[in-house]
Amino acid sequence: MQTLRWVGRRLLMGLVTLLGIALLVFFAARLVPGQAASVLLGPLATQEQRDALTAELGLDRDLFTQFGIWIGKVVTGDFGDSIISGQPVLDEIALRLPVTATLALMALGIALLVGVPLGVLQALRARRRGGAVGSRVISGLGISVPEFVLGALVVLLFSTVPLGITIGAFTAISDDLWLGLVSSLLPALVLSVFCAAATARTTRDAVLGVLVEPWIQAAVGRGERPWAIVRHHVLRNASIPILTLAATLLAYLLGGAVIVEGLFNVPGVGSYMLLAMDRRDYAVIQAAVMLAAVVFVVMSVLVELASNLIDPRVSTMGATT
Amino acid sequence: MSLIEIDDLVVEFRTPRGTVRALAGATLHASAGERIAIVGESGSGKSTIGTAIGALLPANGGFAGGTVRVDGVDVGTLDRPGLRRLRRETLGFIPQDPIATLNPTMRVGGQLALVVRDLGGDASRAALAQLLEEVQIADPADVLRRFPHQLSGGMAQRVAIAIAMARRPRILIADEPTAALDANVRREVLKLVFEAAEQTGATVVWLSHDLDAVAKWCRRVAVMYRGRIVEDGPTASVLEAPEHPYTQSLLAAMPSRLRRGVEVRTYTEMLASQAGEPDDAEVGA
Ligand SMILES: Nc1ncnc2c1ncn2[C@@H]1O[C@H](COP(=O)(O)OP(=O)(O)OP(=O)(O)O)[C@@H](O)[C@H]1O
Ligand SMILES: [Mg+2]
Repeated sequence: MQTLRWVGRRLLMGLVTLLGIALLVFFAARLVPGQAASVLLGPLATQEQRDALTAELGLDRDLFTQFGIWIGKVVTGDFGDSIISGQPVLDEIALRLPVTATLALMALGIALLVGVPLGVLQALRARRRGGAVGSRVISGLGISVPEFVLGALVVLLFSTVPLGITIGAFTAISDDLWLGLVSSLLPALVLSVFCAAATARTTRDAVLGVLVEPWIQAAVGRGERPWAIVRHHVLRNASIPILTLAATLLAYLLGGAVIVEGLFNVPGVGSYMLLAMDRRDYAVIQAAVMLAAVVFVVMSVLVELASNLIDPRVSTMGATT
Repeated sequence: MSLIEIDDLVVEFRTPRGTVRALAGATLHASAGERIAIVGESGSGKSTIGTAIGALLPANGGFAGGTVRVDGVDVGTLDRPGLRRLRRETLGFIPQDPIATLNPTMRVGGQLALVVRDLGGDASRAALAQLLEEVQIADPADVLRRFPHQLSGGMAQRVAIAIAMARRPRILIADEPTAALDANVRREVLKLVFEAAEQTGATVVWLSHDLDAVAKWCRRVAVMYRGRIVEDGPTASVLEAPEHPYTQSLLAAMPSRLRRGVEVRTYTEMLASQAGEPDDAEVGA
């Protein structure tokens, strides 16, 4: 009962957050210079033609009225039609979401598989002098190298050196499971580098924080093996910040990895958004960002629920705030 | 050969403000089955000598001289697996703050099961409940299901004792095990510790502030002052006729003697007023 009330309260807070994001997105999208009508009709169109199209799209009314109309439809689940294709935006996104979701889950999976053990190792070695310098340099690099640099390098490498993987010919999972996975692998790897480095760093800090706790000293005093101590008395206690990070990363990845999808020709939400921005297809931009925001809000409620399960002392559910 | 042989032990801690010498040549021997209390003011080095027996000093500390032998083996020369074996097979620690030494994310039952399984024992619910019954926990099934923060201090200390005794240690080191408890729970917990040790024949090293309780439970007492054992002998004679001036001042501060109107001053204050110079701050805190 208490849990239900808590979830209700959190979802309400989430809705408020989403409304704020909706406002931001709506106005930010319209800050992009250039008008939809000009982009659509090209430079040779007459002013009358442009005005007619603008009126047809409802873009001649003032921004607040436009926002009101949009948000009124959004709450009923209607994100409007794409200006370009005329299709409902949600259908267009739903078409591309599986590709992006595959990519996101693969990248996150790789990041956790690599980042968590790396972080634990770094924490265990941190107290020795010069411990884990190598892996710290690697994760430092991973965090700071921009995706477009790394991505471009990988694209260059694989398009000049024939390694059996074709870049640019993307196969969807729904068409061919195996080929789909293979063609997602490279972009997922590129995406996972930053995520893995961030995971390693968060894990390291969290584990270091737990290692000085009295129950760890007690386990050492009982002569337990280091890996047994890590497994039973460290990982679970360190997992809350790691989970929080993973949820943030997933929301970020699902929102569409714009740069990497563009570089690898992946027909996902990210490249769709890039196209939409290029063509001032406001409805699409708004819907894609809202999608990421919804994922984020839902994930953070889930993470908080999980935290309450992981550490019984973290009883945020009982708190009135 | 005694079970515990600490000879001229020097322990130093590196701190941002320089090296702190916590033990400055401490010597103490204890034989199997003995109960020995170590008393001394705060900062005299009691906890340090207790942890030194298991080579469990904090990371910024280390041996800087002397030796600790347990069962004839110099713990300073043991490698990691050797140390683990010593801690698993010979030592048991009873902590000052029992709730903090339990994993907060795991139920009591889970933690006991880990310890028991690690020793190759029977980790069934019934066996775990039996372990808790041995430390006089009235409703073991309920306690097994609780998380550490749902235990009272006394209950948590009983759990900690159960965990320590599950391994049948030959040496039981209790560092002010009752400091966090209120008076009547204190008595029960001490009784439990000494009775459990009696049953298994374990040597008890009890680090304490409480001279009255020491007089009741230990036939031998060692007095620490500034990183050394300054007096060591039968409790009766140490308490009746203390030889070292520090022990005399410690006795004068005993609650049970305060009623007799003896003036209370710490030994350090006494020295300072005699010598007329401030106390050097290097040792003691
Ligand atoms: N990790 C540490 N780093 C630096 N100094 C330390 C450390 N641990 C202990 N010391 C110092 O060593 C000395 C002895 O400390 P110890 O904890 O052994 O005293 P104690 O007799 O157990 O005191 P108490 O009765 O307060 O528990 C003190 O001066 C203390 O400040
Ligand atoms: Mg102490």
